[in-house]
Amino acid sequence: MFLFGKKDKKEKKAEEVPVINQEELMKQAEEKVQQLEGTQGDARIELLNEAGSLYMQAGEYDEAIRYYEESFEMKKVMGKSYTDLMSLYNKKRQQAAEAKDDEKITYYFGKVQEMMQISKDMIRGKI
Amino acid sequence: MAVLNFIINNILTQAAIIIGLIALLGLALQKKPAGQIVSGTMKTILGFMVLSAGSTVMQGALSYFGAIFNQGFGLNGLESVVASIEAINGQAMGELGLGAEIAISLAGIFIVNIILARITPFKYIFLTGQALLWESTLCVVFAWFCGLRGIPLILISSLVGGAFATLMPAIAQPIVRKITGSDDIALGHFCTIGYMFSALIAKLVGDDSKSCEDLKLPKSLEFLQDTYLSIMVVMIPFYLIVAAIAGPEASAEFAGDTNYMVYAFLQAMQFVVGLYVLLAGVRLLLAEIVPAFQGISQKLVPNAKPALDCPVLFPYAPNSVIMGFIFTTIGSLIGMFITGIPALGVPLVIPGVMSNFFAGGTAGIFANKVGGRRGVIVGCIAHGIFIMMLPAFLSPMLSQIGFQNITCTDVDTVVTAFFFMIFKGIGGIF
Repeated sequence: MFLFGKKDKKEKKAEEVPVINQEELMKQAEEKVQQLEGTQGDARIELLNEAGSLYMQAGEYDEAIRYYEESFEMKKVMGKSYTDLMSLYNKKRQQAAEAKDDEKITYYFGKVQEMMQISKDMIRGKI
Repeated sequence: MAVLNFIINNILTQAAIIIGLIALLGLALQKKPAGQIVSGTMKTILGFMVLSAGSTVMQGALSYFGAIFNQGFGLNGLESVVASIEAINGQAMGELGLGAEIAISLAGIFIVNIILARITPFKYIFLTGQALLWESTLCVVFAWFCGLRGIPLILISSLVGGAFATLMPAIAQPIVRKITGSDDIALGHFCTIGYMFSALIAKLVGDDSKSCEDLKLPKSLEFLQDTYLSIMVVMIPFYLIVAAIAGPEASAEFAGDTNYMVYAFLQAMQFVVGLYVLLAGVRLLLAEIVPAFQGISQKLVPNAKPALDCPVLFPYAPNSVIMGFIFTTIGSLIGMFITGIPALGVPLVIPGVMSNFFAGGTAGIFANKVGGRRGVIVGCIAHGIFIMMLPAFLSPMLSQIGFQNITCTDVDTVVTAFFFMIFKGIGGIF
């Protein structure tokens, strides 16, 4: 859109973050996972989210989903855990679509829809 | 031959059967087991009939409201319409007898959307079933109003609806990209023109450095917890106020021995009952058709972005949703009073609380992204007025078609209707 063209350029520059080594990300993620043992409550949720985020950056979507799902199961909040999980489900859905895998398309699209219902319920105070 | 004639003349003329056949086709294409094909087809037929029943109940409550409003305020020719896209769909599929055409066009819209997403740079697959049903309804109704019938009606409706389903997510995408910080997900909700309007106003007056998200607000809108309860909270006062102003005589022919205020209260409840039943029908109707096409379209255009319903954006900016709802509601009340100005020649539009929530909340996210808090306040008040004025100007045409006491909500569907009217106007010149 003509109105927003100028800003887009600025944002693109900001997005050019230095590429972090995948091995380094995995190492960091595994450290977080190790710290999970014996950690409970909010501290656990924080670790789960950090692990999820690191795995997501490393491109390990299944692992990322696993930790984000556990975090989301413990506490449903609007924010990065939600938006990352939604984005992960969508990436998996797209991979399934490219592989023409009906079962997985249905599964991950179902997850996307579940997340939308949760969003609706959260903003209306049902959760 | 006699059997074939019987089938053509008595079975294939029934909208319920045609709709069932579309579901059957969708289920067969997915290679579902025979049992599931039969049960899915039957449930879809049931959905259509439930929807029609809901529409009849709603229509009764709306006719009463229209009549007492006329008695109370009709001296200067003012009429009233309730903004409800669900009721528009119900009347179009039921009373106007366009159910089969709407259902076939719904499938046609999916197909056109797939084709456009494959061959054009607009790689968006619209996956919100209900929104597509509303769009299909308006396409069919206005194509029908333009004089089209049969196959040309279905073809044109599918083409126009399919184009809207592909282009509306594309129009919203520059801002959706900013909101989500990625280009993975698109917005599939036919209120896009309203969102872009509120973003435009917000951009002009706002300051995006002061975001709503930095404010401390309640985390949720608890009074919206129950959809039907919140609709009751809005409709009951409208019915009671109008009944009180119109007086007992106005209600006498409807109410009989019942007290006129009690009757007004019960009719407001009846409106909600109708909506409840109608939406249960819509869910049943779409439960089999939509997933079939969703699966097919995702496979045929795997690189397309999924255009999803508006709650997908709520978690990116929950405060903006709450503020967007509040200021859109204020705007829609201002809009309601503007539509009440007799000189405008449009009916008074009663706003819909749920469309204010979904459309208003999303408009809030858009406005906040480009114009911050001030952008949300000004942009969403303007949005509220905008989403009342557009349906108000469409109302005379809707009533000419045969819709009684109702108008549309989702503005892209209103724009679709105006799009058809432009062609009708051009056709009229020649």
